[in-house]
Amino acid sequence: MTEAAGQSLHSLPDQDAFKMAPVRSAIDASVRPVVVGLFFSGLLWLLIGTLFAAVLAVKLHFPGFLNWSFLTFGRLAPASEAAFVYGWCSTACLGVVVWMVARLSGRAAPGTSLVSFGALLWNGGVFIGVCSLLLGSLRPFNGLEFPLAAFVLMFAGLCAISIWLAVTYRSDGSPGLGLMFVSGGVAWLGWSLFTGNLLIASQSVTGVVQQLTASWLASGVLWLWIVPVVLGIAYFLVPKVTGRPVFSGPMGRALFWMYFLTAGLISASRLSGGPIPLWLASVSASASILLLVPVLGAIYNLFATARGSEVTPSSPSMNFVFFGLAVLGVTSVLLAISALRSVDYAVHFTLFDVGVRTLLLKGSATMVLFGAIYYIMPRLSGCEWLSSSLISLHFLGSAYGSCMGAAMLILSGLASGSALVDGDSTFSQVIELGSSYFWGHTLSFVLLLGGYFLFTMHFLLMAARIGQPAGEATLLQSHNEH
Amino acid sequence: MSRSGFFFPSLLACFAVSFGIAVYAPHSQLGALVPSFKDEDGLITDVYPVAQGGNAATGREVYIAQGCQSCHSQVVRGNESADIDRGWGVRRTVARDYIFEAPPVLGASRIGPDLTNVGSEKWRNEPENDTLRPEKRDRAWQLKHLYYPKAVVKDSNMPSYAYLFEERKISGHPSTDALVLPANLAPKAGFEIVPSADAKALVSYLASLNRSSPLKEAGVIAVAAPVKK
Repeated sequence: MTEAAGQSLHSLPDQDAFKMAPVRSAIDASVRPVVVGLFFSGLLWLLIGTLFAAVLAVKLHFPGFLNWSFLTFGRLAPASEAAFVYGWCSTACLGVVVWMVARLSGRAAPGTSLVSFGALLWNGGVFIGVCSLLLGSLRPFNGLEFPLAAFVLMFAGLCAISIWLAVTYRSDGSPGLGLMFVSGGVAWLGWSLFTGNLLIASQSVTGVVQQLTASWLASGVLWLWIVPVVLGIAYFLVPKVTGRPVFSGPMGRALFWMYFLTAGLISASRLSGGPIPLWLASVSASASILLLVPVLGAIYNLFATARGSEVTPSSPSMNFVFFGLAVLGVTSVLLAISALRSVDYAVHFTLFDVGVRTLLLKGSATMVLFGAIYYIMPRLSGCEWLSSSLISLHFLGSAYGSCMGAAMLILSGLASGSALVDGDSTFSQVIELGSSYFWGHTLSFVLLLGGYFLFTMHFLLMAARIGQPAGEATLLQSHNEH
Repeated sequence: MSRSGFFFPSLLACFAVSFGIAVYAPHSQLGALVPSFKDEDGLITDVYPVAQGGNAATGREVYIAQGCQSCHSQVVRGNESADIDRGWGVRRTVARDYIFEAPPVLGASRIGPDLTNVGSEKWRNEPENDTLRPEKRDRAWQLKHLYYPKAVVKDSNMPSYAYLFEERKISGHPSTDALVLPANLAPKAGFEIVPSADAKALVSYLASLNRSSPLKEAGVIAVAAPVKK
C-alpha cells in the first residue's frame, strides 16, 4: 500500500474518495506557491541557523575562530537559535498549517495574497532580527533577543496569515485533533507575542518580572507553538497515511487540554534558583513533571494508531514523524528530570539546557516538519520524490546528527554540572570537564549540514517538478525491496 | 459548530491561567519593591540598590550588545549551590537587587564565571589560596583581559575583544590609557594600544557590579527599615 493509497482510505468510502481527488488537486494547486515559498524560506533559515551553530561549536574549542565583532560568540549564539526557531521551525510550521487548513476547508482557496504578504512580513522580521543581533542590537532575554521592531513585523505577518486561516476554514463538524493542536498553537503564538512584547516594551513590568515575562513568551514559542504544531501534524498525517482513525479521540482531546494547561506553567523553570518567588519555581517544576502525561499520552495515542500498519515502515513521512515523536518523548522526560531541585542546581547554567533544546528543535520538531514536507510536496508538485537513497541519507544525517549533538551537549552539561555544585573544584575544572564532549558536538554538524543540504537540494528539484512520475509514492529503499 | 464554538474561549482560559500564574502573580508580588534603607539613629546612611548612571550605564549597553550574557550569568544562588563557596558572592541574589535594571541581565549560561559581584574586591574565581589568583582585578587588569584574555588567565576560554581597542601611532607622550602588554602581544615600536570609549565604559560597568549589600530577604539580617522617631 502506498502513501497515496493510504490517503484515499482516510475515513472515506472509496467512491467518495474518488470524487474528492479533483477537489484535493484544486486545493493543492491553489496554495502551492505560498506553501512552497514558506518551505523554501524556512529551509534557507535552516541552513543559515545550522551554519551559525557549526561556527559556534568550533568557537567552543577555538575562541579566536572568526573573531569579528559581528560573529562574536555572544551575538552569534542568539542569532543561530533565532534563525532556527523563528526562521526555520516557525516558517515551516506556518507552511504546513496553511496547507492543512486549506485541505480541511474542502475547497480551493479563493486567494492567497494575504498569506504571501504575511510570509513576507514574517521573513522580513526574522531577517531584520538576525541582522540586528549580529550588529549588536539585542535584548538580554534568553530566546527573545530580537529587537521589538522585528517582532512587530513578525506579529503583523502572523496576523495576516491568521486572518486568511480564519476566512478560509469552513467546517460544520467539531475540529479534529490535528486542527485543534495547530490552531491552538497559532492562537497562542499570536496572543503571547502581543502580550509579552507589549508588557516589556511599555515597561508595565519591571526588574526580574521582565525576565519572567520574556521566559513565559520564549518558553511558549517552543512548547505552545512549535510542539503543538508538531503534534497537530502527527495527528493529521498518521491517520491519513495509515488509513486508520486515531486510536482514541476522547483521550486525545482530554490530553490536548491538559497539555495546554500544564505547558503554560513551565516557563519559570528557565530562571529556577534565581531571584524569583519560590512558589513560582515549585509550580513550574511540578508542571514540567506533569507535562509528561499529555506528551507521552499523545505519543502513545499516535503510536497505537499506527501499530501493525504495513505502510508505516516504508513511508518516509512516517519514519520522520515517528522518529520526531519518540525524541519528543525523550525531551519531555529530560525536562521532567531537570526540574527536580537537586538536578536543577547541578545542570542549570550548563550546556544541558542547550542540549535539551537541541533535542527538541533539531531531533523532534525538525524531523516531524521534514516528515510533513515529504508528504505535502508530492501533492503540490504532481510528482514523487526523485530518490529514496537521498531520503535515507537525509534521514540518517539529520537523525544521527541531531541526537549526537544533543547527547554531547547534555553529557557536557552533566559533567560540568557535577563539578559546578562541588565548591572544592575550580571553575577551570568545571569548564575542562564539560569541554571533553565538544569534539563530538562539532562532528555532529558534519552530519547535520550534510543531511540538511541534501534535503534542500531534493526539495528544490521537487519545487521544479523534477521527480518520479506521480502515482507510486517513493518509499524507503530497504522496505521497497520486500 | 456547537462544539467548536467553545474551542477558542477554552483556549483563552488556558492562556489566562498561564499568564496569571507566570506573569501577573509575580508582578503583583515583586512589582512594587523599593530600595532598602540602612538606618542608624534615625539617619539614613545607605540606600540599596541605586540606579546606575554615567559610564557604567553606557557600559551596560556595551555588555548587552557584545552578548556577554550568552556566557556569563549575574545570579548568585543559595547555599544548595556552590556559588557562594566559589567566591562569586556573599549572599544569594534576590528580586530587590534588580529593581532599577530594565531589564536585569541575568544570563542563562556559565561558559564563563558569574559576574554578579565582579566589581567587589572580595570577588574571586579561584580558590582563596590559589597562587595564580591575581592580586587585584582593577581597571588595567580588566582592560588587558578584554584585549587578550589568555594574557591574564592562562586557560581562559573567552574570545578576545581586541576590536574594542585601537592600535595607533604615539604622537608626543604615550597615552595614560595605553595597555601594558607582554612582548608577544605588544604593538610595533612607536605604536600603542588604547581602549575605545566602549571598552572603557564596559570596564566601568564591570567595576560597578556589586550586589553584596545585606538584604533581609536574602538571609542576611543586617538591614533595618527606617524608624520614625
